[in-house]
Amino acid sequence: MKPPMLVVEGVVARYGAIEALHGVSLEVREGEIVSLVGANGAGKTTTLRCVSRLRDVAAGSIRFEGRDLLQMQAAEVVAQGVAHSPEGRQIFPRLTVRENLEMGAYLRHDAAGIAADMRKCEELFPILGERRGQLGATLSGGEQQMLAIARALMSRPRLLMLDEPSMGIAPILMARIFAAVRELNKQGVTVLLVEQNARAALRMSHRGYVLETGRTTMSGTGDELLTDERVRRSYLGEGV
Amino acid sequence: MTDAEVFLQQLITGLSNGMIIALIAIGYTMVYGIVELINFAHGDLFMLGSFLALTIVGALGLESWSGMGSVAAVLILIASSACFCGTLNWTVDRLAYRPLRRAPKLSLLVAAIGASFVLMNLGLFWGGLPLDVFSGGIAAAAPKDFPDLFPDLNVLGNSAVQITRTDVGVFAVTIPLMIGLTLLVKMTKLGKAMRAVAQNPTAAALMGISVDRVIGATFFIGGALAGAASVMYALYNNSIGFQMGYRAGMDAFTAAVLGGIGSLPGAMLGGIGIGLIRAMSDQYVESKWTNAIVFGVLILVLIFRPSGILGAKQREKV
Repeated sequence: MKPPMLVVEGVVARYGAIEALHGVSLEVREGEIVSLVGANGAGKTTTLRCVSRLRDVAAGSIRFEGRDLLQMQAAEVVAQGVAHSPEGRQIFPRLTVRENLEMGAYLRHDAAGIAADMRKCEELFPILGERRGQLGATLSGGEQQMLAIARALMSRPRLLMLDEPSMGIAPILMARIFAAVRELNKQGVTVLLVEQNARAALRMSHRGYVLETGRTTMSGTGDELLTDERVRRSYLGEGV
Repeated sequence: MTDAEVFLQQLITGLSNGMIIALIAIGYTMVYGIVELINFAHGDLFMLGSFLALTIVGALGLESWSGMGSVAAVLILIASSACFCGTLNWTVDRLAYRPLRRAPKLSLLVAAIGASFVLMNLGLFWGGLPLDVFSGGIAAAAPKDFPDLFPDLNVLGNSAVQITRTDVGVFAVTIPLMIGLTLLVKMTKLGKAMRAVAQNPTAAALMGISVDRVIGATFFIGGALAGAASVMYALYNNSIGFQMGYRAGMDAFTAAVLGGIGSLPGAMLGGIGIGLIRAMSDQYVESKWTNAIVFGVLILVLIFRPSGILGAKQREKV
């Protein structure tokens, strides 16, 4: 068996004097969809930000395909094949849809490949093709989310990290985005997913981790977690 | 001169000065757009550009180059001052501002004021060097004569309204630079990266954009434009001094705010606007009122459009 693609071990991170993560450990294997579920403030977003080097890590290790990400800056992590679609979408409001996508391909120099991937993105999310020349700020929340995912894909990542892709989005768009994530995974993209909507996330995941107050406390296959009594009570809203 | 001719003459003078102010204003607006810093050292950087130009005039004996030679001389000066000021601005960012990237904006502002003093004193020291062009450096603080490389011939022949060769030079330099810069920011990968970093540095880093490198490039470009402007200013006014950065910087900063700080076309528009207001006020009011009128217009515009004429409304959805 191949070693895992992403290995996060005992990661500690602080916001000033406050410790936000006290030891997060998880693994993502190539080809998997792995979800990170947990309450608000449990440290899901912080974990992703540690991996993409937007945050400093006080202790622990993060390795991607054997390479130490903690030695790298955010831009180098992208070059390794890790893309991060951040919480709150964070698209460029005054760049056009097309320019947003071009920025996603910033580190690439294969013009033909970039053009092909741009077409692929517009097939995956046809609305982006229609809105190509519009400024990012003029898109609806759901469209911006699609743009954020498509933009992350433009770097041709092997690992795609999605933070709350369903936040603030109409259910119909949510279904479309989840379908797109499954489709991408079939095409070979490994996915690390952070979701508020734990049920939907775990259903489509191979495995999942539960994060509680800055610590990974449980892990298992998507089905195992979905049927676990504690998870059901705490995160799936099935109170007793 | 008839009334119409006087007006036309002031229009030309105002445009020439305005274009130079605009070039400086672009440096303020680009840096503000990307790191939210009013770079107080920018005017002093501009001053140093003209000191370098005068030093080169002396070293190469550019005064005696005539005809096409004088055009070549000006091009040499622009290229060297642009490279020098670009590199210097990049260096100031690298040494003074970059370590403060995550610090409160006020710390950055204080650093910029400090950098301004350092550069201004560098100019004072430079003016005291024992060179012929600095009159032997006896009076370091005294204004220095900048030779008229383009003797003030009227390209319109004998008409009362004058467009001098220096005016033509100013337009021939500033207009292509502004068009080039606009294309760079709109079309090129670097330009798009600059806009991306300005709009959302975190997301830009997630795209693999090396944010510090893009900010450095912005400082270089803004500095280079100030360098080019310094040569045109020196040719136009025939006098430079170590304190000229304050006044020129003030005009340019006002222009950037008037046009909408952070906006490139705004800086150009604001610069030309300030140049014209100055020229018209000098002619039709009285030159001692000119500063009051410039700032009066600024205040008036800001009352009705707080983010400047072309400024983006500060209403970002997250």
